[in-house]
Amino acid sequence: MKRILKSELFKIIAGLIFFIPGAILSHLGYTTVSLVLLIAALLICGLSVFIGAVKGILRRDFLDEKFLMSIASVGAFVIGEATEGVAVMLFFLVGEFFEHKAVRRSRSAIKELLDICPDTARVIVDGEESEEDAEDVEVGSTIIVRPGERVPIDSRIISGACRLDTSSLTGESMPRDAGEGDEVDSGVVVLDGAITCVTIRSHSASRASVVLELVENARERKSREENFITKFSRIYTPTVTGLAILMALIPWICGLLSWQTSVYRALSFLVVSCPCALVISVPMAFFGGIGAAASKGILYKGGNTFSPISRVESIVFDKTGTLTTGEFSVADIHSEIEEGELLSLLASAEHNSNHPIARCLKSLVKDYTPAENIRDLPGKGIIAKVGECEIAVGNLLLMSEVGADVQLDGYSVYAARDGEFIGAVLVRDTVKSEAAEAIASLRKLGVKSTYILSGDRESEVISVGRELDVDHVHHSLMPEDKYEILEGIIDRSSGGVVYVGDGINDAPCLTRADVGIAMGGKGTDSAIESADAVIISDNLMKLSDTVRIARKTLNISKQNIVFAIGVKVLAMILVALGLVGMWLAVFADVGVAVLAILNSMRTLKTK
Amino acid sequence: MKFKFTIEGLDCPNCAAKLASMMEKLDGVDSAKINFLSEKLTVESDLAEDTLLALLRKTAKTFESGITIN
Repeated sequence: MKRILKSELFKIIAGLIFFIPGAILSHLGYTTVSLVLLIAALLICGLSVFIGAVKGILRRDFLDEKFLMSIASVGAFVIGEATEGVAVMLFFLVGEFFEHKAVRRSRSAIKELLDICPDTARVIVDGEESEEDAEDVEVGSTIIVRPGERVPIDSRIISGACRLDTSSLTGESMPRDAGEGDEVDSGVVVLDGAITCVTIRSHSASRASVVLELVENARERKSREENFITKFSRIYTPTVTGLAILMALIPWICGLLSWQTSVYRALSFLVVSCPCALVISVPMAFFGGIGAAASKGILYKGGNTFSPISRVESIVFDKTGTLTTGEFSVADIHSEIEEGELLSLLASAEHNSNHPIARCLKSLVKDYTPAENIRDLPGKGIIAKVGECEIAVGNLLLMSEVGADVQLDGYSVYAARDGEFIGAVLVRDTVKSEAAEAIASLRKLGVKSTYILSGDRESEVISVGRELDVDHVHHSLMPEDKYEILEGIIDRSSGGVVYVGDGINDAPCLTRADVGIAMGGKGTDSAIESADAVIISDNLMKLSDTVRIARKTLNISKQNIVFAIGVKVLAMILVALGLVGMWLAVFADVGVAVLAILNSMRTLKTK
Repeated sequence: MKFKFTIEGLDCPNCAAKLASMMEKLDGVDSAKINFLSEKLTVESDLAEDTLLALLRKTAKTFESGITIN
């Protein structure tokens, strides 16, 4: 794109150098010299357009803007209006230049966001470090990541410790500590301390690549507005070409005007009617919108979702991983013995387990002796030996099995020592810190109803719903129940229904809803694949950003359509009546296109 | 086989769609998609990579000058 922009700018300047003296001399009456200068200017500016027009004709698709521009400028030369013939081409180039600049800006905004996955990795082979293409690194290779670098491939740390900035993937601004044995996802940045890791996946199967792949390869889904424009221009161009031919012939045949005047008007009419302002203004607005969203960490797969999301009436949330972090924290501890001792025994027993609840219990205690002879009892819990005692950790079923007498209910984990009940812990999924504010700001934007659809236990879901002030709460759902309830919501809504989720079981709902939005950080592949948009950082505040960007994008695209059609129709009438000449015709085309593009660029600046 | 190329120098999204449909009509090409914003060309084809690339480049050339495919 940079090369194209440069060559366009060069053509514009070189064209002007020949055009300005040419136009002045022609005004002063030096026809021959000026004609030479103007032909030179025309060739500089227009040669590639002429070639494009010929190529279009050769593939029988000749009613495009290049064809119209070529006819108009050559026609102007033929009827002796050389200055205007060059002006048409010059302005056309200026329009293209602006258009390409605008596209480039949108693109770079998106590329920046997608730039989360390094292409190379520092691989250690026989103690020697070498930089290799990340795609060629085999699973199980040893790589090193230095401070300030992104992890190129999903890996496990084998030596070293560091702090990780995971914000580009999870939106969590607090750095996370990681040390030996911890897994690190590709795309996260190592802040300090070099780490040596062994890769656990291939580059293409790594977290960051998977997310990017899904977004980049998304089928291009076009918005209704974009499709309208494409269809419109298919009828429009042949119609105006026909009208122009009539305008050139009828007044002349009827003896009303000289043939030069008729042809001049017809050519001016053709220039005005060039559809490029219309054809580009709408997609440009959507590109602006997609770029604006991208710079805020929301990846859209296409422009078609802007319309329903701007009319959003209901938002349906999955709970775990969407409204909550999916990480557990302790809500209540009931202890029959000294609390520290209880927690330490729990951590010892859960030593080997990687379940989120176990991870939570282990995080409460700094030092503990790992248990021995750990036995897993599926559906009940575990029994292990800590020191001389037998510790049972699990549900009430396990407690009665070991003969412990428990007079409590409603806790997540119970523990017994040598058959005697010693305590219980209630853990809760942590609600995301921004969730309440996010829902409140969506309501301010006009969202009428909010829902939680969750497979979780009643008390859990209701308490989250109350904390976040959600209107309707459904709990203990199977995936198919979620889908059924969502269909009911869609039937009852007159506006758009947005579904926000992260899990495999959310995939059908993400597809079914008017707009499906997936969490990119913790979201599963199938959720990301089914969704229309992905919030890379998992931050719920992005939802209201999305709505605002979509509304602005749609507004601007509508303004562009009305403005472009309005000015064109007006100019067509004036030109047909002979009230204005080709100069204004050129402005009505290129000027409108440039203004529409500049207007579109405003979407990129959405706050 | 699925091939992915970078395509640069396209004028507008409209042109991208037109070029993609031209490529789709080529013998040996099952599907062709151009993502205008990310400048990615995805082609499904049974042809060898070199043959395919030459074919795509030729098609692009008859369409518009200044398009590069890699």
